[in-house]
Amino acid sequence: MTTPLARRYRRLLLCYPRTHRRDELLATLLDAAPPDRTRPTLREASDLLRHGLRARLGRPASRTVVAWATLATVISGLFGAAFATRAAWETVRPLPDAAQTRAMLLEILPNEPWDQVYPPPPATFAIYNQPLGWNMASEMMLGDGGEYSQAAIGAGVNGHPGDDPRRTVDEALANLESHGWRVYNTAWSDAYSCVGPPCDPTTIPQNATIAARRGDTALTLEVYTWSTPDTTHLSASFMRTTPLAVWPAGIAGFLLASLAALLLFGWASRRTEADYPTRPAATSSEHPARGWVMGLFGLAMVLWWAPTLYALPFMTLHHVREPHPTWHPMWEWLGQPTFSLFFVVGGGCLLLALALSALPRRQTEAITAAT
Amino acid sequence: MREPTFLILTALADAPRHGYGILQEVNALSGGRVSLLTGTLYTALDRLCAEGLVEPDHEELVDGRARRYYRLTSPGLTALTAETARLRDLAAAAESRLRTPNPATPKPRPA
Repeated sequence: MTTPLARRYRRLLLCYPRTHRRDELLATLLDAAPPDRTRPTLREASDLLRHGLRARLGRPASRTVVAWATLATVISGLFGAAFATRAAWETVRPLPDAAQTRAMLLEILPNEPWDQVYPPPPATFAIYNQPLGWNMASEMMLGDGGEYSQAAIGAGVNGHPGDDPRRTVDEALANLESHGWRVYNTAWSDAYSCVGPPCDPTTIPQNATIAARRGDTALTLEVYTWSTPDTTHLSASFMRTTPLAVWPAGIAGFLLASLAALLLFGWASRRTEADYPTRPAATSSEHPARGWVMGLFGLAMVLWWAPTLYALPFMTLHHVREPHPTWHPMWEWLGQPTFSLFFVVGGGCLLLALALSALPRRQTEAITAAT
Repeated sequence: MREPTFLILTALADAPRHGYGILQEVNALSGGRVSLLTGTLYTALDRLCAEGLVEPDHEELVDGRARRYYRLTSPGLTALTAETARLRDLAAAAESRLRTPNPATPKPRPA
């Protein structure tokens, strides 16, 4: 059975798990093939690919194993992509320094004293202006994960806006466009809130948020129309847009993590599947931790999917409602690291489930087929 | 019970058969209408074995090719008998209705 057709069938049969009866399938494939066939048909190849992957999941009588495998594969792929994009973010160009920042701001609003430039944190992403480290792990997981954000270099101007703030906004918009910035819709919001008389909501001063982008630099300029001499009335921050390497890294991360998750799911599922009712007594066995493995896996899926399903619509609405010169990083769309505790506990459940799956099956008496 | 499952069980009703034998028998039983692919057949056989309707019978080596024969189990025979009776009842009910002419239904044109 070393004909070219047999070799090609053998390659396709690699989709099936190693312990599956590949030789028997090969024999049937060769028996069924017309004498002049030298390569599998497309229909045959897709049939073997589909059913080979199904065989990897084990539990052939299960109606839900494919759905569980899909859940595990997709969420693992998404998290894999998120980690890969985080790594690719390290290819981003350094932020402009203080002098460059001040020069850019003077192009936009030349009459403002841009003398307070706040240096960026020493990392691409930071939490409370510090690089992420073990010392910040508890803050990250216990409620402050949302503080983990992209580094930016900012500047501010204190004092009361002497002139009409709307004129400041108009001047900034005009200068941005003349200096090659792509300007997004200006967002206006109330400086404070009040309900009914004696306050008239229509007279509340409006703050403006201007978003713009030039090359790989994104600007957020906030104009506060209601401030005191001691508070900020202009605030600007520059950050880098998503580097190109993030896209291929995300795709590769998704594919690799999905494949790994599918193979691991299949391995654990096959190891812990119930015995066939017709298996001979000599080979009949059961897994000692089958219930624990399934319970831990189910819990992990809840802990991984719940933040994602919560964050995804929220982030979509956020992006639709506010101008974004650059999108939020991928992990934020998955509810991370705000819900990183869920992710860590879910990951722990999965590791424990895999470790339990590795336990040897124990021999048991044959179960006679029910009639 | 889906049609391929019914045909596979029917193919095994009179004698144990190996994979290629089942493919041929299914094709013959359906008058050439159902042509199972090998991957589909073995997924169905795995499922039927897990459900206890089919079990491996014996293995043999022919021209260097491994052949495993499958046979119907007692629950498999029961399931096939029940499905056959169900299909027969359905067919009988349909024939009975077809024998009662409905004036609103156009008559088939003569060939």
